Amino acid sequence: MTLQKETTELIKAGIISEETAEKIKGYYKTKETSSTNRLFVVFGVLGAILVGLGIILIIAHNWDNISKTIKTVLAFVPLIIGQVFAGYSLLKRKDSHAWKESSSAFLFFSVGAAISLISQIYNIHGNLSSFLFTWLLLCLPLVYVMRSSITSLLYIAGITYYSVEIGYSSYLSSVNYNFYWILLLLILPYYYLLFKNKPKSNSMIFHNWLLPLSFLISLGTIADKNEELMFIAYVSLLGMFYLVGNTKFFSEQKLRNNSYKILGSLGTIGILLNLSFNWFWQDLRVKEFVFEQLFSSNEFIVSSIITVLALGLLFFRMKNVNLKNVKPISHIFVLFILIFILGMTSSVAVILINLIVFVIGILTIREGAGQNHLGILNYGLLIITILVVCRFFDTELSFVLRGLLFVIVGTGFFFANYLMLKKRKHATN
Amino acid sequence: MTQKIIFPIFIVLALIQIYVPAKMILNNEDVLKTGKEYKFRTAPIDPNDPFRGKYISLRYEESLTRVKTDTFRKWERGQDIYVLLEQDSLGFAKAKTVYEKKPLNNNYVKAKVAYYGNSFFKMSESKSYVVNIDYPFDEFYMEESKALDAEKLYNMSRRRQTAKPAYALIKIKNGDAVLKDVMIEGISIKDIVKANQDSIDSSKNIQKQN
Repeated sequence: MTLQKETTELIKAGIISEETAEKIKGYYKTKETSSTNRLFVVFGVLGAILVGLGIILIIAHNWDNISKTIKTVLAFVPLIIGQVFAGYSLLKRKDSHAWKESSSAFLFFSVGAAISLISQIYNIHGNLSSFLFTWLLLCLPLVYVMRSSITSLLYIAGITYYSVEIGYSSYLSSVNYNFYWILLLLILPYYYLLFKNKPKSNSMIFHNWLLPLSFLISLGTIADKNEELMFIAYVSLLGMFYLVGNTKFFSEQKLRNNSYKILGSLGTIGILLNLSFNWFWQDLRVKEFVFEQLFSSNEFIVSSIITVLALGLLFFRMKNVNLKNVKPISHIFVLFILIFILGMTSSVAVILINLIVFVIGILTIREGAGQNHLGILNYGLLIITILVVCRFFDTELSFVLRGLLFVIVGTGFFFANYLMLKKRKHATN
Repeated sequence: MTQKIIFPIFIVLALIQIYVPAKMILNNEDVLKTGKEYKFRTAPIDPNDPFRGKYISLRYEESLTRVKTDTFRKWERGQDIYVLLEQDSLGFAKAKTVYEKKPLNNNYVKAKVAYYGNSFFKMSESKSYVVNIDYPFDEFYMEESKALDAEKLYNMSRRRQTAKPAYALIKIKNGDAVLKDVMIEGISIKDIVKANQDSIDSSKNIQKQN
């Protein structure tokens, strides 16, 4: 209604022609239908997930009064209903996202419900990991057949749960092979399809967040006897994420949608802050690596692969972009490997790490000031503040000196923000 | 991919999704019908599996067995093993020995190594190790409202040190085991719990009437 009013007013004022007014109205009409469509998908999927979870809970009650045969039949009822809905949406509702996504989500849960009910009826000793494995494998093809992003997201969440369950318990991880990496590979083609067909869609953004998070969580399952090396793997991986986040495709998006950049930046600084304490380096100097074992260990191989990939990306980036525009965090992983090697014998490493964090903080502040961006400026200040707080706890400095440090950082915060706001005011005037 | 290919693929997928659980049912039914029955003495604890409701967790008294050094030096926790079973004088199953590979004798059950280490008991000359067996039939599912009662009952029957101990009925065929029932003094735990609940309910009703 308001649109109608506004356009007539604009026509009267001679700002737009009748034709343009029609075009504007048409544009908003299509936009409206697409947003109601999206709402349909959201509610459909939410409903399907809730009903699916509800069925699993009802089944978990394990009704004793029902005979085994009926229970067995009941296990298949949600499964078949889910399949019928999925089949129907595949045949008759080809173009409806709402139908496809919600029927797939429901089917996903009904497969889990069927397996778990049967395990219950026969008291099958299935540890959680083998149950999840069967469930996820049975639902993986759904992602491709139905082209369902929700199922893909549920699958990624599921394989992450599986890898945590199997990989971080010492009892199971020694003999049971962790299939997470294969399961992850199997979903990547779908990610590629999304990237190719719907690069700006919400599904793509969710995948952009969930996939690297899943990878970060599961990477640690590789740690065994040379777990110190995993720090190299993690720093390189986060460096790689950061480089991916700075590619043209991602840097054109909103910051909150640029998961790779956020994870890469926060993760790298988080790890460096962690390693700015002495404990890790003290252990590293004492640890005796058996070199023949070291080079054939999983940790070494994985760290090398990730580092080589990250180096490739860095090289590619430096070739295409002016050196001035390559962000400092992009190089940290290379520096970190050098410091790590140095740290095996020398105690200088920890000082270098502190120095790096400090320099990153300063460079980030400079970047924020240069771009006139308050967020970046304060991020840099925050990095330095956390570094100071960390040192506050483990250095032998006198209270007066520590107090002075805080006062200096605090004033820095105040003045940096004040100056920038003043500059902005000046610019607008 | 065209629509023509996708739908048949979907049908195949749907059939596989039905086949896998159906196969689980058939396998277990087969073991229950044609398997050999064993009685295993047990002991309980309580976890709560988020996916499968309430169950009683069973720990088996006969899960400790001693094997000579050479045969299991390289064994790891969680590794698959084959437990050769025998019966004691009271008719309860007992682990005789443990193999890494399937034995020729058919009286065995597939299990996993839960723990191994030095024997706490001094055996005569040869140094011996203890293998703690993780049997695959250690979860007995009960209706949510009954699981807690069942567990209490079970603990009580253990504390009393009765002559007729609690045990699990296991059917085994070709190494595959299915837990059929948990028995206390020869009666199914489900029946005992049900009888107890009924008597509590009826006494409540009597109190109400009074």
